Amino acid sequence: MLKDNLQKALASLGLEKVAEGDYAKTGYHLEVTAEPTQMVDVAQAMLDAGCFLESFTAVDMVEAFDLVYHFASFDELCRTAVHVPLGKKKGMYTISQIYPGADWYEREVFDLFGIHFFNHPNLKRLLLPEDADFHPLLKDFGAGQGND
Amino acid sequence: MIELLGLEEKTYTLNLGPQHPSTHGVLRVLLEMDGEFITQAEPVIGYGHRGHEHMAENRNYAQFLPNLGRVDYLHALAYNQCYCMAVEKLLGLTVPERGEYIRVITNELNRISSHLLWFGAYLLDLGAFTPIMYCFDDREHILDLLDRITGSRLTYCFYRFGGVPMDIDDDFVAGCRAFAKRLRSRWSDYDNLVTKNVIFINRARDVGLITRDQCVKYGITGPTLRGSGISYDLRKSEPYSAYPEFNFEIPIGTRGDIFDRYLVRLAEMEQSLRIIEQACDKLPNGPIMAEKVPKRIKPAVGEVYQGVETARGEFGMYVVSQGDVKPYRIKLRTPSFANLSLFPELAVDTLVADLVAILGSIDVVIPEIDR
Repeated sequence: MLKDNLQKALASLGLEKVAEGDYAKTGYHLEVTAEPTQMVDVAQAMLDAGCFLESFTAVDMVEAFDLVYHFASFDELCRTAVHVPLGKKKGMYTISQIYPGADWYEREVFDLFGIHFFNHPNLKRLLLPEDADFHPLLKDFGAGQGND
Repeated sequence: MIELLGLEEKTYTLNLGPQHPSTHGVLRVLLEMDGEFITQAEPVIGYGHRGHEHMAENRNYAQFLPNLGRVDYLHALAYNQCYCMAVEKLLGLTVPERGEYIRVITNELNRISSHLLWFGAYLLDLGAFTPIMYCFDDREHILDLLDRITGSRLTYCFYRFGGVPMDIDDDFVAGCRAFAKRLRSRWSDYDNLVTKNVIFINRARDVGLITRDQCVKYGITGPTLRGSGISYDLRKSEPYSAYPEFNFEIPIGTRGDIFDRYLVRLAEMEQSLRIIEQACDKLPNGPIMAEKVPKRIKPAVGEVYQGVETARGEFGMYVVSQGDVKPYRIKLRTPSFANLSLFPELAVDTLVADLVAILGSIDVVIPEIDR
């Protein structure tokens, strides 16, 4: 089963948390917490298991960011959520060399949250204009702000 | 010749859009051209960015509901459903059976109307003017049906947390059956007009091939994925609502070219008709709204990911609640966003005419990409 295989593969990476999720409540089969430096290895393990990157986003928790990767598989119902806590003013490592689809997701997070991604091939704003000087999904950005 | 004229051999940049008719809205593609061939294509998006995710953090749960109909305006009901299901999961609400059936019927009608619009608009892109007249004629019947119960014709906001607000009557059920019969009688017209049309076949066969490897690396979903032979449809792969109670198939392609994606969408409409008919046959009696829906929606601290199958692929919502009346964070995972990110790879070494055919075949809805 994919879930067991993933648990085995992730166990060898020394992650903070690899646990079964409460599917009925959250929609996750596996819940993982990783350090920013471990994410590239996690992504490689997910790709080797045949999973695709379902979604990637960030949440501004005020004192820090919570980066959330969702992985799923075409062959078997198994959704993995990987949380990566990231301090403010810290950068993240890109996984776009492993999942090219992550390229745009990371650009979007850079655009809306101002998080920098190391080694990203083309890190520039995606949705907002190039000359925007704000990051609207930060919690200290109120409604109606910004250079319209 | 180039040397004789003293010209340098170099590429040039061609700007497509943001208002080019075949880009289906405000999408811009920057093309690097070597003669007639594309060496590099870069989609430039964000012209329709309205900040839905930011809006979600600034209003309460129910107030965000109408926004969902405006993210993907062609399959608005699936977006309604995804959000309602996510909030229902956070609140622990169960939708009554009849409510789920009404959701399935209306959702599948909406899926057919989306595919019909794609069918017409796509062939228009390829230079065939007639098909859009036929399919808009058919689509009009769906809009009339949905108009009767939802009150709108495009940007539906029909589902509520815990069920649906309006019951359907015998006239609506009869209308659904009549529509299914009508659309079935039209398949042969569609086939004769388009599927067997040699001009279309030659433009679509073996063009815009998508491999399984690309699907995994880019997170491709929907008919674009199934055209490449991967049977992944959340209605079956991650059953939700009342879908497990119906018999239907997931059509898949064999080669992964434009023609396969076209066939998958046509076959999906027939499967949706089957679902609608079965739902009309088995429609249970009873309430349409859950009892004890709290007046003030204030879910406990937690997070949820909910996915649904829309006409374009997997739409997912990641909702984070901090125990407030407003969502703390909502992420909209939209299918066209992931599907379009593969486009630069597909466009390399093709002609501009093929580029239009490929772009249309992945069926992008721009407001859904820009959010």
